[in-house]
Amino acid sequence: MAKELIRLVDCCMAFDGEAVLDHINLYFNDSEFLTLLGPSGCGKTTTLRIIGGFLTPTSGEVLFDGVRMNDVPPHLRQVNTVFQRYALFPHLNVFENVAFGLRIGKTVMEEVKGKQVRRKEKLPEEEIRQRVLEMLEIVSLKGFENRRVSELSGGQQQRVAIARALVNRPKVLLLDEPLAALDLRLRKDMQSELKRIQQQMGITFIYVTHDQEEALAMSDTIVVMDQGKIQQIGTPEDIYNEPKNAFVADFIGESNILDGVMHEDYVVEFFNRKFKCLDKGFQPMEPVDVVIRPEDVDIVPVEKGQLRGTVTAVTFKGVHYDTIVDFKGFKWLIQTTDYHEVGKEIGIVLNPDDIHIMHKSQYSGMFGDYSSYSEEYDEINDPTYVEEDEDTEGRGDEE
Amino acid sequence: MNGKNRMGSRLAMALVFFFLYAPIFVLMVFSFNDSSSRTMWHGFTLDWYKELFQDGIILQSLYTTLLVALLSALIATVAGTFAAIGFYNMRRRWRTPLLTVNNIPMTNADIVTGVSMCLFFVAAFGLWNAFAQQFNESHTAQLPSLAMGFGTLLIAHITFNIPYVILSVGPKLRQMDRNLMEAAQDLGCTWMQAFWKVMLPEIKPGVVNGLLIAFTMSVDDFVISYFTAGPSTSTLAMTIYGMTKRRISPKINAISTLLFATVLLLLVIVNLREMRQERARKHPGAQREISSRRGNLIGAGALAALILVLVLLSRQSGERVVNVCGWGENIDPALIEQFQDETGIRVNYQTAESNEAMYSKVVMGGSGYDVIVPSDYMISQMRQEGLLAELNFDNIPNYALIGDAYKNLSFDPDNQYAVPYTWGTLGIIYNTTMVEEPITSWSALFDPQYAGQVLMINNPRDAIGVALLYLGYSVNTHDEGEIQEAYELLRQAKADGVYQSFVMDEVYDKMEAGEAAIAVYYAGDFLSMYDNNPDLAYVVPEEGSNWFVDAMCVLKDAAHKEEAEAWINFICETQSCLANMDYIWYASPNAEALAQYPDYYREAYGEEMDPALYEVMAAPEEVLANCEAYDALPAEVNAVYKNLWTELGIKG
Repeated sequence: MAKELIRLVDCCMAFDGEAVLDHINLYFNDSEFLTLLGPSGCGKTTTLRIIGGFLTPTSGEVLFDGVRMNDVPPHLRQVNTVFQRYALFPHLNVFENVAFGLRIGKTVMEEVKGKQVRRKEKLPEEEIRQRVLEMLEIVSLKGFENRRVSELSGGQQQRVAIARALVNRPKVLLLDEPLAALDLRLRKDMQSELKRIQQQMGITFIYVTHDQEEALAMSDTIVVMDQGKIQQIGTPEDIYNEPKNAFVADFIGESNILDGVMHEDYVVEFFNRKFKCLDKGFQPMEPVDVVIRPEDVDIVPVEKGQLRGTVTAVTFKGVHYDTIVDFKGFKWLIQTTDYHEVGKEIGIVLNPDDIHIMHKSQYSGMFGDYSSYSEEYDEINDPTYVEEDEDTEGRGDEE
Repeated sequence: MNGKNRMGSRLAMALVFFFLYAPIFVLMVFSFNDSSSRTMWHGFTLDWYKELFQDGIILQSLYTTLLVALLSALIATVAGTFAAIGFYNMRRRWRTPLLTVNNIPMTNADIVTGVSMCLFFVAAFGLWNAFAQQFNESHTAQLPSLAMGFGTLLIAHITFNIPYVILSVGPKLRQMDRNLMEAAQDLGCTWMQAFWKVMLPEIKPGVVNGLLIAFTMSVDDFVISYFTAGPSTSTLAMTIYGMTKRRISPKINAISTLLFATVLLLLVIVNLREMRQERARKHPGAQREISSRRGNLIGAGALAALILVLVLLSRQSGERVVNVCGWGENIDPALIEQFQDETGIRVNYQTAESNEAMYSKVVMGGSGYDVIVPSDYMISQMRQEGLLAELNFDNIPNYALIGDAYKNLSFDPDNQYAVPYTWGTLGIIYNTTMVEEPITSWSALFDPQYAGQVLMINNPRDAIGVALLYLGYSVNTHDEGEIQEAYELLRQAKADGVYQSFVMDEVYDKMEAGEAAIAVYYAGDFLSMYDNNPDLAYVVPEEGSNWFVDAMCVLKDAAHKEEAEAWINFICETQSCLANMDYIWYASPNAEALAQYPDYYREAYGEEMDPALYEVMAAPEEVLANCEAYDALPAEVNAVYKNLWTELGIKG
């Protein structure tokens, strides 16, 4: 049974009266790879900074092992952070960067003549040396000890930042969009590298990203956030296959989201036609959102289709074609390995397990229509796109 | 790049370097000139350096300058760095307006900053002293009374330095990765540890730069120091400026050369250090970190030691002080040390550049002077305004040595307020090789045959005075018609192009170099010009002239009256008067000293003094009988002088 390390209870955060976090309740288990996923401004970095001790929540509690930590400063918390732009110390070489935390020493509380006193515990030089070299080996930077950090590539700097944090043997490592500044290829390599390090060290990683692919590839648990609220918590499979609302369905992967009505258990109606599905437990005739993943749709000849539509656009994506199909004015995205030219009429077949039903929510009607071929789609797949700092106001700001 | 362009830009660069460094080069060369001339080379000497290190006034002000610069730069750097961090952590909507406010003192005129600080200190100390006095009357514990001095000077310098430091550190902070401080704290540092280990190394270039700027600005400053230093403290700039009443001593060339050489050396060291670091960077090793850490430690240690030495040196023994305000180069500095050694009274010697400047500082309040040395007409004015204290002549027995001719003069008819210090005549200095026959009359100053050859003195009292003398009127006339007539004479001569220019201390260089034939100036100054150009001659014209007396007075609100009288008594000693005469070439009113000077000269230089020169310095009685001293003029006559003088400047 996993042990709980950190818990946020009803945390709210506001900058200048503007709510950034809205009653967040969340716990983090030992040895877990947990990802906070959401678009820019959703509150994920704020959550991370509250855990790191750089922000104090406006209300609510931060508990470490059940002890309230709201006002404990960062240097007394047993967490370490990997910053988005690495934040390596430019005046120190690789070795000294990694050794930084060890040289500061641990603060330990001890009793002297009946009083609780803070004392810095200094490590012997030999132990520091050993631990730094060991850690550099783990992040594959053996032999780089004497390099200046400015001489390293982005990926190498990233590894130094990870080593610098991990060498202190924190219980929890916080990572704030650590791969955002790397190019696509390096990002993929680092994803598996990070996962390997996490498993090797056996500690908790709390990972912040806006990249759903990254989240799906690495996480044990994903927390989807939007507008300061948690939208869904679950394993990557849960989140992908059973999105709770239109926002999650749209944000994680591609989705066609349609208005439908639940007639009874396992029967849903949309486009004036009843379909079989695997969902139950809705009110009779309850209006619902119907999610259909683009890769789940089978294209068949017109006469065999449950629905008929016309191809209006085709984009080659390597493994598959993104095909936009017009059904009575509502456009779907369908991913197929076969080419269907523009203007061709086609039919589609939906199997019961291709259809996922969600309750209506505030997000209903906002997503899942490919009528205007999606710009956000390009944005999310653009490796050079860097998310803006969502809470610059809280820290002052840059010129 | 095209060859013509390259030539052009090279030429431009050469010109820039020329204009930047030629003046300094000239100054350095003339610091080795075996003459006080600022234009002619008389051979190589190190005498000015030797004299520099014997001149207590200059050394003391140099010491003050360096101490103030160092302390104010250090304190301003610490304060400014933390202020910059404060700005950096601020929200933009507050930061921008506050930074603008921070920048105002830099764009503000120094004179405004200086005067406002002076007024502030005077007001604040006035309130405090009134409170302290009341408190002391009713309590056994005694509160000290406050006056302007080193402390206020330091505060003023710190104040005007802080904005420069903020401006220098700010950009470095903004260049720094915002997350660096958080990363350090995340790794276990407290804020302060993170500051030392991470932020400071990052912003160090900005901090060092700020420190250097602050140091330079502080050494540079004259105006703000002038208003905030009080009577007991002088910076080098103040001392040099005080010399402009007479000529600026070549000792200043020497000290400037030394300062320049020091800065050059520092720059070379800094550059060498950077080069070495650059090389070490290319061959990295853990060794470098350690050696640079040790270097920092050594640097900090040396700095601390230097400050300690300066502070120890500044602890002057003795509670008793006297604050004297004289003219630049108007006393033998050895006398100050001698007095201090003999009496244990510390002398704070400050200099003013003119009677009027000294007067306005006294009237503004808080000057703190005990002894001043105004000229005759200024003594009348200050006496009438009640600014002077009656002297206790029991404390000045040497007053008996003052010749009768210098007593009961119009500025102090009952010998109550003033003890004469020096005296001399106004006359014509001319170059014997440039005129046909010896000059004997003021008429030469208005004669078109000398067009372009005459240097007229650039102050209204003397210039209009010589015209009045030529016309046969009194220099103290109140008759507006006569003054108008004198003005007309000057205006006509100016229109005829007689005057090459109106000058004060430039007269030295022009006459020594033979650039002008005739000048109006003072006897004592002629003697130092003659030293550099023996073709010059001096005459008190047959119409008579002005003879002037500078006398020592004590201010009514002097805090150290007894010490002031001890100082005056010491200066009146025959030996002091002889030393002073030899140093400044102005005649002493001490009858014994005046008579003994030719013997003193023979002993000192191993040759007879030229009797003609002695007569120039100490005009004989028959010449003096024909001369008139200036009286203070009533305000309405002063206004006439002022208006006519302004008109003369505009017309012709």
